[in-house]
Amino acid sequence: MMLIKIAWRNIWRAKVRSFVVITAIALGLWAGVFASAFVEGMFKSKVDSVVEKEISHFQFHRQGFRDEPTASSYMAQGDEILAELSTDDSVEAYSGRLISMGMLGSANQNGSIKINGIDPEKEAQTTKLNERLVEGAFFEGIKRNPVLISKEIAEKFKVKLRSKVVLTLQDINGEITAGAFRVVGYYDTDNNMFDKMNVYVRDSDLRPLMKIPQGYHEIAVYLNSYDLAEQKAAEYQERYTDLEVLSWLDISLGMRLMISMIDTYLYIIVGIILLALLFGIVNTMLMAVLERVREIGMLMAIGMTKMRVFGMIMLETIFLSMIGGPLGLLFSYIFVEYFGEHGINLAGAAYEDMGFSSTIFPFLEPSRYLEVSIMVLGMAILAAIYPARKALKLKPVNAIRKI
Amino acid sequence: MSIISTKDLCKVYEEGAVPVTAVDHVDLVIDKGEFTAIVGPSGSGKTTLLNIIGGLDRPTSGSIRVGDTELGQMSDGELIDFRLHNIGFVFQSYNLIPVLTAEENTEFIMLLQKKSKVERNERVHALLEEVGLKDKMKNRPMELSGGQQQRVAVARALASKPQFVLADEPTANLDSKSTNNLLDMMLLLNKEEDVTFVFSTHDQRVIDKARRVITLEDGKIISDEKRD
Ligand SMILES: Nc1ncnc2c1ncn2[C@@H]1O[C@H](COP(=O)(O)OP(=O)(O)OP(=O)(O)O)[C@@H](O)[C@H]1O
Ligand SMILES: [Mg+2]
Repeated sequence: MMLIKIAWRNIWRAKVRSFVVITAIALGLWAGVFASAFVEGMFKSKVDSVVEKEISHFQFHRQGFRDEPTASSYMAQGDEILAELSTDDSVEAYSGRLISMGMLGSANQNGSIKINGIDPEKEAQTTKLNERLVEGAFFEGIKRNPVLISKEIAEKFKVKLRSKVVLTLQDINGEITAGAFRVVGYYDTDNNMFDKMNVYVRDSDLRPLMKIPQGYHEIAVYLNSYDLAEQKAAEYQERYTDLEVLSWLDISLGMRLMISMIDTYLYIIVGIILLALLFGIVNTMLMAVLERVREIGMLMAIGMTKMRVFGMIMLETIFLSMIGGPLGLLFSYIFVEYFGEHGINLAGAAYEDMGFSSTIFPFLEPSRYLEVSIMVLGMAILAAIYPARKALKLKPVNAIRKI
Repeated sequence: MSIISTKDLCKVYEEGAVPVTAVDHVDLVIDKGEFTAIVGPSGSGKTTLLNIIGGLDRPTSGSIRVGDTELGQMSDGELIDFRLHNIGFVFQSYNLIPVLTAEENTEFIMLLQKKSKVERNERVHALLEEVGLKDKMKNRPMELSGGQQQRVAVARALASKPQFVLADEPTANLDSKSTNNLLDMMLLLNKEEDVTFVFSTHDQRVIDKARRVITLEDGKIISDEKRD
């Protein structure tokens, strides 16, 4: 008890010095935790948007289609699958697609493009494509062969709303065919790469061009719960062994990597900051020990055991570290909560080119605060060892001689 | 009854270019209830002798017994424990823990001895009363004069109920009034409670109050005078 009292009061002997250390710890932690929350929020929204807007929870393909998307590689039993999905309670929405890697030609330019043949209504339910419409209409107002393109494509190919474009593609027999489409609207997502590649047409318009009587190349399924994705994918995989049914985690390996990166990112950044702080604390405590050589010598002379001297310095170091720690975490919490609510707008910072949303909502799992606290405590104990050992090495006679 | 006895006690410092014999074949017996001053010119070995008697330093040769215990045989850990329970220390300065009050400083040593709360309170208050600092109990060392600090140190030294109190130049930093006060207080404790004091000093006024004066020169005892 008395040791705790002494250790606690000792911290306040060199007020300025302790204040500097406490502030450094608080600021360091705040910076580290907030930066982690920023990155975690950024990745999380990326993951969310990839799932919600691009991949959905799981997808069906013919084996090999993802490696080599040929027109003939379609799932003839597509309608049967859709019927089954419509009766599955955990399925919220699904969309069957025809896909063709083709060319888009305007009066000025030609370029390769991914043509998505969709059922506009189903697609709207599954990926909310309709919500990403920025100009024009969502497959309305143009009766024959409407095509939805992105703003980027419109600029690149110099086409306007209602302009005519020609889509060139291969049918199932490998023969080149082409169809004239009219631009019905522009969409825009957070992902510029995606926008530059994708155009949407009605599957009913694409079907005759590709000569596919029925079925789809791709079926995307959106569930009512995130966590069911892998389980459901496995279930359908068992039923359709000749197809490939993959959850979003397996479709986008980048996502899986990203998710494991989010986990390690915090440890790395907070770890580095704590390491830097560790040296600061060791230095401060060494100063404190060296300043008190005589006092510690006196304590050992009158009968304080080495264990207790060691404990006293340990406690002092831990206290010093643990004042700054919670303060830093409190700041972090306030900042993360505030900006998590209001977002940080980084428009123009080229985040969209990398496929990230430009408004970032920092996010941190609540359990992370506990983990960081444990890391700080570990750091404090580590920082305490060297100064405490230094104090142990003092010999009372030598220390007292100096008196 | 002797509580300290040394036989052929030597301490040689080998560190320098020439070995220094700081304590040179000292035979000394100190009895319970003595009030003994160790005097001698600077460098004569007073501090070295007191440190060996106090179990803070080890002799190069010879024996040092406190009560029935031979200190030379003890491990460092045993010595710490022995000091805690048997010897009271008063140093020239830095006696007190700056962040503790006079009361807490005195109590501290009893806490190390794991004495009960009741026993601690009772003894600490009695001792501070005796050294005349009852009203300064809640003050920290910074808020006390040098003389008052040394009185707290004496109270602290006595709190552990030691066999004797060692004091290395306890008055070196005090003015003459404080020196007198401290010495009178120590004398009173010696007379009334039979506390054994062994202290070193340069100060003639302190020497005058001692009841036994041992004079060292070059580590040897050159005179041993008992007065009564
Ligand atoms: N750690 C040491 N290493 C080497 N020599 C030492 C050491 N400590 C003391 N000495 C030497 O031993 C001798 C006795 O020193 P000591 O401190 O015991 O004298 P003292 O009588 O207490 O002197 P003072 O009155 O100045 O306090 C001196 O010559 C001193 O230089
Ligand atoms: Mg000396």
